[in-house]
Order: sequence, then structure tokens, then C-alpha cells
Amino acid sequence: MAEMIKLFVNGNEVEVEAGKNLIDAIGAVGIEIPHLCYHPALGADGNCRMCLVGLEEGGPPLVAACKTPAAEGMKVLLDADHIKKIQHDVLEFQLINHPVDCPVCDQAGECSLQDYYMTYDGQKSRMTVPQVTKSKKMDFGCGVIHDQERCVLCGRCVRFCRQITKTGELGIVNRTDTARVAIFPGRPLDNRYAVNVVDLCPVGAMTSADFRFKQRVWFMKKERGVCHGCSKGCNITIDHNREKDQDDLIYRFRPLFNEQINGYFICDEGRLSYRDENENRLTEARLSKTTMSLDKAVTAGLKEIKRAEGIVILISPDCSLEQMVSVKSLAEELGATLSGFSDGYIKKGDGDDYLIQDDKAANRAGLAALNIDSSQTGFEEALAKAGLLINFNNDLSLFYDESSLKKLFKEKRVIGVTSRNTKLFQMANLVIPVASFTEYSGSIISCDNILQTFNRAITKNDTLVDICEVASLFGGPLKTDRDRYDELKKIVVSLNDFDPDTIPATGLKLT
Amino acid sequence: MSDRSQLISTGEPFKFDQERDTEFERLIKRYPERESMILPALWLTQEQEGWISAEAIAYIADRIGTFASKVFECATFYTMYHLHPMGKYHICVCRTLSCWLRDKQAIVDFLKDEIGIEPGQKSEDGRFSLEEVECLGHCGTAPVVQINGEFHEEMDVEKLKALLAELN
Ligand code: SF4
Ligand code: SF4
Ligand code: FES
Ligand code: FES
Repeated sequence: MAEMIKLFVNGNEVEVEAGKNLIDAIGAVGIEIPHLCYHPALGADGNCRMCLVGLEEGGPPLVAACKTPAAEGMKVLLDADHIKKIQHDVLEFQLINHPVDCPVCDQAGECSLQDYYMTYDGQKSRMTVPQVTKSKKMDFGCGVIHDQERCVLCGRCVRFCRQITKTGELGIVNRTDTARVAIFPGRPLDNRYAVNVVDLCPVGAMTSADFRFKQRVWFMKKERGVCHGCSKGCNITIDHNREKDQDDLIYRFRPLFNEQINGYFICDEGRLSYRDENENRLTEARLSKTTMSLDKAVTAGLKEIKRAEGIVILISPDCSLEQMVSVKSLAEELGATLSGFSDGYIKKGDGDDYLIQDDKAANRAGLAALNIDSSQTGFEEALAKAGLLINFNNDLSLFYDESSLKKLFKEKRVIGVTSRNTKLFQMANLVIPVASFTEYSGSIISCDNILQTFNRAITKNDTLVDICEVASLFGGPLKTDRDRYDELKKIVVSLNDFDPDTIPATGLKLT
Repeated sequence: MSDRSQLISTGEPFKFDQERDTEFERLIKRYPERESMILPALWLTQEQEGWISAEAIAYIADRIGTFASKVFECATFYTMYHLHPMGKYHICVCRTLSCWLRDKQAIVDFLKDEIGIEPGQKSEDGRFSLEEVECLGHCGTAPVVQINGEFHEEMDVEKLKALLAELN
């Protein structure tokens, strides 16, 4: 527990954490100090002056809250007339050359400048001279489009590229009212975290080429999620919306702060992985070429299982612990060999020393925790002897090319239980569509051995079943969430003291 | 202030000549941080070429081992760096208080007439360019004119006429 101190805001005593600046300390108890350039991941720069507050007694009468540590007994003034005037004046300066094109700006609705104007300014413009005009659409690379006119020159994007990615593509060139953010000609944004500048930008000056003009932010619903792009398990906000006569679609993933995992950021690839949730999904069960209902497909599957001489069940390393344990119990029930072979998910050398991992599987640690064999020989030898492969969403095509897959599946029956309509699953005799990770609740263990739970965020018009459900329909003994969790606790010792409800939202570091 | 961020590219790679190269290596030893060489390196470039091209900025960044964006920032922030070719003789007239009070305008007007250009322009034959600048730090001997970096103090139109006559 951090040390607490007492100080006064507008004469009222509040208890705040020591060691933070005034913005964060007072912000944590719900009192806003407006600020543009300060961001906790980038530190205080002190350039925007939006955060000026008054101090009564001792010290200078006016300080930048971003650069002032909270101290015991401090008397902070936010609502005095002279502070209000400063806030109003700073905003008036900011708005001199601002285009105020909120009606067509993606940031509208989540824009600091817009919010602050409504809260602290609200005055008509007094400007009678023409505004300074700049470029409105600059392709900075990596899917980042810049509007120089909307920029408030807070320097967050510049500092991000210098301090966090250390690639330094952005700079603020010129000075006075012609100052602007620019790339050096021929050296555009070139790093795998670049789109974070769009989230960092307090206004609509940095926009994402992918998201631009797709949705007004206030129409979207926001849900917490965990990225399944790699084994890091970065926390995300899933912004989705069901438009009239359409399905529930995801429009973007954004980073969600989690101190022990991803901090404030995510990688660009993970950010764009929302597309796989919307596109190229398997939606109908199919036996050879005939589509059918889930019930019929399950019956067909049961027939296959009955007929089969030797079964191998393959599970994806992206599956949740609940799914893994369900499928594991199913395998035991059927006397099938269970494999988690997924070497293809590992892209050697692709990771970095920041967030991105070589291992593109979200829950490989889960395979290990449940003692599921993942060796290539284990899988291939078992399959050679078996007549039926039931593949639970494992993308074998990441490892085998088409001809090797054909060889592997020769004279085998294949059941694919999958969320993806890919070539691999088109090769299966029977396919059953299941929910993808934004459509079910579950838990996974990250590469840092952190257990995280997540809830269903998306509800499709035609809801697809969870793999847990399919395992149970195929005869698996675990029928309810309770069953699954109890079984998990039996196998994974470190889960003994925990229940899904008691796992902290920010994850649980397993020992 | 105008937008200085539209850099000009020569299409040729840039590099310091022998003399500037030696000077660069001599100066960089002075600084604990290599980035501190950005401003001196921009000066060296301007000395060598008369102006600073996009290629030169990239060269300086790579040579120092810093981001091109940082050199770009410095080069566009300080108006003393020329980001396009100047005349053979680049004339700066100080326009700050002391010089203003001691009639820098007469000097500017004379030059406008004589060379036929406005401040910020270059003559067609490429011989002259004219610029009005802020305080050159010789206020005690105002008005001050600087030609290719050389100071001429307590100027008036007569003196300037003589000075121009000497230039070839
Ligand atoms: S583009 Fe956005 S983040 Fe970057 S300086 Fe401008 S306002 Fe700040
Ligand atoms: S680093 Fe991995 S988990 Fe994090 S956003 Fe990127 S792909 Fe997703
Ligand atoms: S947030 Fe303090 S000066 Fe910008
Ligand atoms: S005012 Fe001209 S040199 Fe200082």
C-alpha cells in the first residue's frame, strides 16, 4: 500500500497517494486538473500550461500541477477566479488557430480540447484575423494520418517515439504559430507500436487510417478484453457497435492500462487483430458439402467418434483454460490422445524486449499447466495410428504446408471445431463453428505467468457455442463452469486458493 | 514567421569536406552528449554550402547518431540557418530596437532600390539576398549590417554604397 498524505483542494481535505504529481494524486480521488501535455507514461513536459493551479501559503502562488509533487498539508486552489481565468486564457490561446472541425473529427466525444472547452472556457472566439492554415492530411506511415491544424503541440506523440519506441520519427518543426508536428522527409513512422500515438494524442490530430470516419465514438460500447495476438496478454478495450440491421461488429481495439502487463500501450498487430473477429468467420456447420444445424452436426460428430479406430484430439494454444480442461476431460472420456502441438505459432525472432513475443499463442502456459503434451513427435505418432482427428481450433497450417497437411490427413477423418473459415478447416470432413475469444468468457495464462480472466464482449446475432460446450456435447464430463473450475483447481496447484470471481481484474501472478 | 519545414533536396548525397570534417571531429570532443553537436554541425554545413539541404540534415543526424527529426527541429527553429540557397552576398540588416531607432529603415530602403529585392528575396543574378534579422548583439554601434557573416557597424547609406562597390 502506498503511503497516504493529506492535503486540501479548494479548502476540502482529501487523502491522496504520496509520490505522485498533483494531476495523478488528486485525479485518483476524482478531482480533475485539466492537462494536455502530461501523460503518466511519458512524464511531465510542462509545455501546455493547461494544468496551472494555485497554491495558498508557501511556495509560488501558481504552479504547473504536472511538475508539482503532492505534499502533506498542501493547499491547492482550483476554483478561484484567477485560476479559472488562467484556464480560460490558455484555452483561448489553444483555440486561436484550431479549426474546430469537430463535426468531422474522429476524436469528437473523447477529445480533451473539446471537453475542456465545454468545462473551462465556453466563450465565443474573439479572433478577427485569418487563421494560420496547415496540412490536414499527412500520411505519417504505419497507418497514422496527421492533421497539423488540430494539433495542440503537446509533444506526446514526439515523446512517445523518442522515449518508448526510441525510433524518433516525429519532431516539432518551425516555431511560434507555424510550429507543427512533422516527419523528416523520407523517414516516416517505422515501428511496431506507432498507432499508440493516436490514443496518446489528446485531440484529433493523430488519426488511425484504419478507424478514420468509421464510427462516432459515442455510438460504440466499450468492453474490457485480453488481446490474443501473442502470449503477452495485453489488456484492451474492445469498441464495438451493432448498427441497424447489422451484426455486432468490433471497430477497434485500444490499449487498456494494466501496470503489470502492458502499461498504457499495445502493439499495432495486436490492435488490428480485431479484424479476425469480424472477418472470415465460420458461421455454419458443414458435413462434406452440406450445411446443417449444430444439433445435426453434433450427431454426425458422435457417429464419427463411435466409428473411429483411434482418436487424436488437437487443441489450440489460444484456447482458454476452461476450454482446455473440458477438452482434456473429453479426451480422457473417449480414450483419445490429446495434443497441444502448435510449434507453428512460434515465430522465432519476431518478438522484442518490450511487448511483442515470439509466441503468437495466447495460452501456451495453460497447455503446460494442464500437462498437455505439445511435442511434434507425440502428435504425429499418435495421428499415424489414429483414424479420426478432432481439431479444436488449432491452426496447423502455421506449421505444415498444404501438401504436408494432405499427407497428414490421408485416410483420416477430420472434425474441425473452429471459429475460422480457413483452407485448413475446409479440408475437414465435418466442421462445427464456435465462438472466438471476444465472444466467450474465460481465463488464460500469459508468458509472464500471469493468470487473467475476461468476459464475453460481443454477442453476435447468431450466437456461436463455446468450445467447452462442444466438448460436453461430444460426451465430455464437464458440464458447467463450476465443474470446469473445480477440475482446473485439481490439476493446477497454484489455482487452489482462487475462484474466477476472486482473480483480480488486473491479473494474478502465479507462483 | 513562415513555414520553414519544406526542405529542399539536392538529389546529391551530402558530406563534409576535409576542413569541416576535421572541425567536426575537433568540436565533438567538447560535448558530453553527441547531440550537442547539432547546432555546430548545422553551422559547418552552412559555412560549406551557404545553405542546408534535406540531404545535409540526414547526414548530420546519421553522423551524430541522432534522429533526423531532431536536426530537422533545430534547423527549422533557428532562422539563422538558411534552408535554401542564398545570394553570393547575403546581407542581413538588424531590425531590433537600437538599430530601428538609428534608422535601419533607410538602409533597407536603399538596398531595396539598389538591388531591386525585398527582404527575404534573392536577386535574379544570384548575387544578393537580403534579410531583416533580430538583434545581432552590437546594439552599441547600431545600426548593424552583416554581410556573409561579417559585421559592419554604425552603418549609413553612404558607407553601404562604398561597401557594395568593393564587392565583386
Ligand atoms: S499530434 Fe497530438 S500528440 Fe502530437 S503534439 Fe499534436 S496534439 Fe500532441
Ligand atoms: S504485444 Fe501481443 S498481446 Fe500485446 S497487443 Fe501486441 S499482439 Fe496483443
Ligand atoms: S500538463 Fe502541465 S504543463 Fe501541460
Ligand atoms: S538592436 Fe541591432 S544589433 Fe542589437
